[in-house]
Amino acid sequence: MFQANGKGDVGQVKIFTSSDGGHSPETMADMAMNKIMAINEKAPAPIRDQAVTYRNNIRDVILYYLNQMAQSERTTIWALLRKQGHEDMAEIIRRL
Amino acid sequence: MAINQAMCGTYKKEITVGIHFWLDHTRTGSSGISADTFKIAMFTSSRTDANEDLTGYTATNEVSGTAYSAGGAALGSVTLGLSDNSSSVPTAFLDFADTTWSTSTITGARCAVIYNSTLNTAGTGATVNHAAYPSVCVLDFGGDKSSSAGDFTIQYPANDANNAIIRIA
Repeated sequence: MFQANGKGDVGQVKIFTSSDGGHSPETMADMAMNKIMAINEKAPAPIRDQAVTYRNNIRDVILYYLNQMAQSERTTIWALLRKQGHEDMAEIIRRL
Repeated sequence: MAINQAMCGTYKKEITVGIHFWLDHTRTGSSGISADTFKIAMFTSSRTDANEDLTGYTATNEVSGTAYSAGGAALGSVTLGLSDNSSSVPTAFLDFADTTWSTSTITGARCAVIYNSTLNTAGTGATVNHAAYPSVCVLDFGGDKSSSAGDFTIQYPANDANNAIIRIA
């Protein structure tokens, strides 16, 4: 299974934690970007800079739609609570 | 010995003789083999034997808290890939879905251990034995991590031959 020069490696995990609430859209966007593209720090500077710019643009797009998704989800919950007669709780959700 | 991120030495031996089954598979002339369940458990900085010499999961110095159960969480969506790494070496690599303890309060998680929870008793009496809950690797968080009435997420790296969480080149 192993070659004479073979080796086993373990990748580096990233830890994300939050307090009094879930992860923010910004954190989720960073998590998505970590999965979508990795930039080699040893890459030539012009290529690395271009990759960083591209990465930031993609992150902005993801962040925008994550925020839209969060808002849309709150609207769904707001409507559900109103339908069930929980006007006060619906208002709390709407103001988030 | 201190906490050290590494693939466990006994795991290298155990996969060589085929003790761990990450995925369902078949062998010629035999019936299908089901995948084992692998879990990830977190520990405080007091767990100083969390390094390449660890042989199996035990609950010593495991974190505790709201929404965290002893033994940790099962790894889901296991995938196995094979491609050349940046040194053109064929590399097998594993990936999992990120692990999240939602609405949790967990204090002082310093490292984690991935282990085989299907093998819940030690394998003995053979040429190659294994500990109960044999360990795969140790992950060093680089510092104490905590959540408070929030989410605690372990994100595994990009699923490729150069970065994936577990790689054999």
